[in-house]
Amino acid sequence: MTISPDGPDTVGDMRFTRASGAGVRRAAAGAPEPAAGAEPAELQPAELLAAAARGDEQAFAALYDLTSPRVYGMVLRVVRDPAQAAEVTQDVYLQLWREAARFDPELGTVLSWLLMIAHRRAVDRVRSARAAVQREDRYAAGQLDRPYDEVSEQVQASLDAQRVRNALDDLTDTQREAIRLAYFAGYTHREVAALLDLPLGTAKTRIRDGLIRLRDALGVSDD
Amino acid sequence: MTSHELNALAGAYAVDALDESEREFFEAHLARCAECAAEVASLRAAAAELSHTAVTAPPDAMRGELLAAIGRVRPLPPRVIGRQPRPAQRWLWPAVAAACALIAVVAAGWGWQEHRQLAGHRLSPSALSGVFDSPDVATASVPVGSSGHAVLVYSKARQRLLLIGQGIAELPADRTYQVWMLGPQGSATSGGLFRPDRNGNVLVEARGDLSHTAQMGISVERAGGAAQPTPGAIVADITI
Repeated sequence: MTISPDGPDTVGDMRFTRASGAGVRRAAAGAPEPAAGAEPAELQPAELLAAAARGDEQAFAALYDLTSPRVYGMVLRVVRDPAQAAEVTQDVYLQLWREAARFDPELGTVLSWLLMIAHRRAVDRVRSARAAVQREDRYAAGQLDRPYDEVSEQVQASLDAQRVRNALDDLTDTQREAIRLAYFAGYTHREVAALLDLPLGTAKTRIRDGLIRLRDALGVSDD
Repeated sequence: MTSHELNALAGAYAVDALDESEREFFEAHLARCAECAAEVASLRAAAAELSHTAVTAPPDAMRGELLAAIGRVRPLPPRVIGRQPRPAQRWLWPAVAAACALIAVVAAGWGWQEHRQLAGHRLSPSALSGVFDSPDVATASVPVGSSGHAVLVYSKARQRLLLIGQGIAELPADRTYQVWMLGPQGSATSGGLFRPDRNGNVLVEARGDLSHTAQMGISVERAGGAAQPTPGAIVADITI
């Protein structure tokens, strides 16, 4: 940090001096600093990502093991084709490796960030595919009458999954279907409105209301 | 579109269900609406929970391929800042010329002229000359983040300041750059918010009393700005 030659102004500026100092320390944290005694497998995603940002490939592998079933599973559900799902998932993790140092914990958890990147990519993939072939529309429309959890492939029984399913059960049918079509089938809110025969403009409201209920039921927050 | 209608897009945005033009439109709004940004983050976290119902083991081969691939990819450095300002003279004038050519400015806050979403906006000649012509015109330059630079051209007598940035890193939709004026008593006063245009250029004009300001800072804050600079989020500090 540069100190003003006029001294007092800068020196007296405790608040800013401290803030700048923290910025500098953060920069210095780019240097490797092994977490003493901790096995990668015991670490949380945020810690593993921080280690990966310093070039620790083992930590990155542990992070992959910890998170990939959720990421790959979500991507597979969206794109449906295992080969494409694998491709998208690999791209996502390469991006994660490249941008590990730029993760901002204030914006949410590592998993939330990872799933956000993966979801955006998966949706981009199906939208560009859909522009060429419209067959998924009919496929998804055919799914509407089926209960939520029957359309999933290879769902791993887990307490978390049960918790989410319970929360989904408390949504209205329209909210649940709107969220499913948007999140897992990659439809825009306009397409969701058409598929569910909703008045123009209301699908986005259903999606938002449903997500708010889900958020409150699951007790998730961004921090 | 009213702010109520805009707000209704938060859920669809969180699950990537906006079309491209809506997405861009909403992201521009997010940059200025801290409330929407916070809601989007929480709804994204809720949407992420849905993936619990789709858990599937990835193909075994993927792990090995991925680990081989990362060995060939260098992680990007964090977005943090070098400490030594470079001498201004070397690049100030080209920077001014480039920044003046095409600028999108979003500025708000104390004493800052607002140029919301004016892609291609040109700062008026009088704004430029009001600073450049003043007898006490001075400059300071500073790196911003790992890729950018900013130059301040200011006149304490005329109470005007231009901030010209190049190569300023893009921010997520729910973050903003915030300028701080730092007073002698350790007070930090917000000088306004800005985001670079697509090319990383920034040009903002501020008017205000700089006579008690010896240092300025730029931090990355949540959209809507912060009351005080967040420790650790400072990307530039500038002695003036």
